[in-house]
Amino acid sequence: MTRYVLQRIVLVIPVLFGVSLAAFMMSHLVPGDPVAVMLGETATKEDYDNLREQLGLNDPLWQQYGRYVYHAVQGDFGTSIRSKQPVLDEIMARFPSTLTLTICACVTAAVVGITLGVLAATSKRSGVDGLIMTFALLGVSMPAFWSGILLILLFGLKLGWLPIAGSGWRALILPTITLAAPAAAVLARMTRSSMLDVLGQDFVRTARAKGLRDRIVVYRHVLRNALVPVITIVGIQFGALLGGAVIVESVFSRPGLGRYTITAIEQRDFPQIQGIVLFAAAIYVFVNLAVDLMYAVIDPRIRYR
Amino acid sequence: MNINQEFTRRFGLKVAGTIGAIAATGSLTSVAWAEPIGETADAGEASVGGELIVRTVELGDTMDPAKTGSAQVSSTLRLVGDTLIAKDYDGNFVPWIAESWDISEDGLTWTFKIREGVTFHDGTPLDATAVKFTFDRILDPATQAVTAAGLVGPMTSTEAPDATTFSFTLSEPFAPLLQFLTSSNLSIVSPTAVESMGDDFGRKPILSGAFMFDEWREGDRVVLKRNPDYAWAPEYMHQDPAGAFIETITFQSITEDASAVAAFEAGEIQQLSLPATDISRFEGTEDYWIVTYERKGIITLAFNVNVTPFDDPALRKVLMGAVNKDDVLDAAVEGYGFPAYSFLSPGIFGYWDGMKDYAPAYDPDGVIAALAELGWTDTDGDGIVDKDGVKLSFTALNLPNDSYGRAAQIVQAQFSDVGVEMVIQQMEFATVLEQVAAESHQAVFMGYTYQDPDIAYLIFDSSQAGAGINLSAVRDPELDALIKEGRSATDPDARAAVYETMQKYVNDQGLFVPLWYDSYYVAFQKSVRNANFHPDSYTVYYDAFID
Repeated sequence: MTRYVLQRIVLVIPVLFGVSLAAFMMSHLVPGDPVAVMLGETATKEDYDNLREQLGLNDPLWQQYGRYVYHAVQGDFGTSIRSKQPVLDEIMARFPSTLTLTICACVTAAVVGITLGVLAATSKRSGVDGLIMTFALLGVSMPAFWSGILLILLFGLKLGWLPIAGSGWRALILPTITLAAPAAAVLARMTRSSMLDVLGQDFVRTARAKGLRDRIVVYRHVLRNALVPVITIVGIQFGALLGGAVIVESVFSRPGLGRYTITAIEQRDFPQIQGIVLFAAAIYVFVNLAVDLMYAVIDPRIRYR
Repeated sequence: MNINQEFTRRFGLKVAGTIGAIAATGSLTSVAWAEPIGETADAGEASVGGELIVRTVELGDTMDPAKTGSAQVSSTLRLVGDTLIAKDYDGNFVPWIAESWDISEDGLTWTFKIREGVTFHDGTPLDATAVKFTFDRILDPATQAVTAAGLVGPMTSTEAPDATTFSFTLSEPFAPLLQFLTSSNLSIVSPTAVESMGDDFGRKPILSGAFMFDEWREGDRVVLKRNPDYAWAPEYMHQDPAGAFIETITFQSITEDASAVAAFEAGEIQQLSLPATDISRFEGTEDYWIVTYERKGIITLAFNVNVTPFDDPALRKVLMGAVNKDDVLDAAVEGYGFPAYSFLSPGIFGYWDGMKDYAPAYDPDGVIAALAELGWTDTDGDGIVDKDGVKLSFTALNLPNDSYGRAAQIVQAQFSDVGVEMVIQQMEFATVLEQVAAESHQAVFMGYTYQDPDIAYLIFDSSQAGAGINLSAVRDPELDALIKEGRSATDPDARAAVYETMQKYVNDQGLFVPLWYDSYYVAFQKSVRNANFHPDSYTVYYDAFID
């Protein structure tokens, strides 16, 4: 197990290397020039030429990439062209906000989604099932920027219960609901169909034939088996939630990585873009690793060598 | 001062023009510049304390006045920093850190007498040495003071012979400099802090203004605290010399307009630049103070004069008459603004009033006839005019901005009415700039905001073609000569005459179709008292208090 984990962690290195190369090439090959964006209209052509030279943007691409990697392996991810701040500092200042929101949304989505999925599966084709699946359909269909605004208008403006911008745990409630709703809907549908699959299997009939109580059959035997694919989806959803946080953070003005990412791309701030992509890739890789390891906990048949 | 912000801030640009306050009934009542917002008989006593939360879209790049390229930061720095010269509500240049100044006859040497007793927020004295340090730092290419370096123009050297005398030398006369010296990008910085803090100076600048920088919370807010030692505001700004009243001013970043409007209506924030789509709803209420002002600058459709079909000046000029600007204005910003006829807007010095009649009027039938005279007729009946087998069709680049998008569609329909096909290609700001720099575009929608007619240098001068700024890619010695004359004319009347000629010339050359300039609306909660709005489009909070 330990050996497996170590192997997986070592494998992260080539993945990040590949991601950094892809991010570097893409950000430099798409049209758009950070210096032109930065200078806007108040600068003269001389200012433009000087700044490009100073930032090393006139060097061949391979030289620029080599310089980037050389510094990155030493833990220096460069300085933002625009803010002149170290990129890693900027990311770390904003990441806690995004992580908090993502984890809250992920936990909420998992708890709500799985509970509703189990409820729907055990009351198949009843009114409860219909209601839950209708909710799931709505949850999947409503785009976050729209549902977020609706929640703001209702709970922030009309009822005045919760803050619209601001910080603190109360300001976390609406964004969490907005971000969690689509994921909860996906998980509810997933859990329901997975449960129904397992409910139809022979060992369930055997368990029932043994005279086990329905509760034990459902929770100990069916749910545990049904959760394996659901956990995979939770892992994938976590990545999607990190991405979805970009929009939700904009709607609720949360100081996370979302807005930072958009601005970095708009401004062609190369060091920022590369830093964010590398950071996001690393998180994705580690979340996948965590998901893989969780299989072993849920399904004792899976062992890593 | 920056097209950069055109993109990021959309509506709430740093702009100015004439100002009016909207009376509670919703009708527009013009008031004098200096009349404070919310000054009524029932206003409470001014006392020190309270917090004012102002909505901002983004916090900006860096708070270092020399290095920032952000209009939002320039606006925030108005509160934190002091400049050599200030401009009062009537547009007069008045003393601030400089008690007086003298410009040599040839316009090349400027000497300032520096006020005594001014201290920075770190307690160190602001003297001529600090002023010299500030300007030397801007002139040093290593600083990368892009915006600020543009403002000081042809400045070559500085001197501080004693603690109260500062002077600099120019390589040629530079008429816009007096205006630019009032720009917060040229705020005097604490040399001690700059040297000890390095790049951190951009996150906690040490200046000498009425508010001190307290906190930059990444992506969230910028917090300013009252400077208790402040006693050197220009008289027009502040009736009571002993500091400001408001204890804390917070600039809260809210990126989405809809969220910002909701937060304002819920009372979470006290000041908001209204999105055009919400103006009419707010105008009808009596719940807020609303201030309006005009953009200094215009939005335009610029033609690249080096590529077909726009390499024909006669065709360019004819096409100017195909656009009904009132319709464009209605669609773009719901009519909150004015049609533009010149490359300058009326708020900018040198604007010539005759442009409205001088510029080609909207006349689709006339355009069709004129096109036919130039040989452009619809020979194949497809609705698009052609000449020698080539259709009159072009692509216009546009920014991903809602009001620009609507404007472009109207212009497209109007061109279509006269048989001209305009394809709209929407791109990100960075991509548009690159295409313009490469001069690979045919036409482009773009807006600017600038305090001085010297914007002409940046958008028309030959030297600027190929840098992403000269939108028409024009290289015209005659125009260059006019621009040079306008930059160096120090006599205001002579300078205005140069710009009158230039506005006619730009029109005659058909370099672009001026479309509109916006009216901006700023809403304040009724609890905000005695704030002032400056013609250069920023709020003055020295006398303001929270009731």
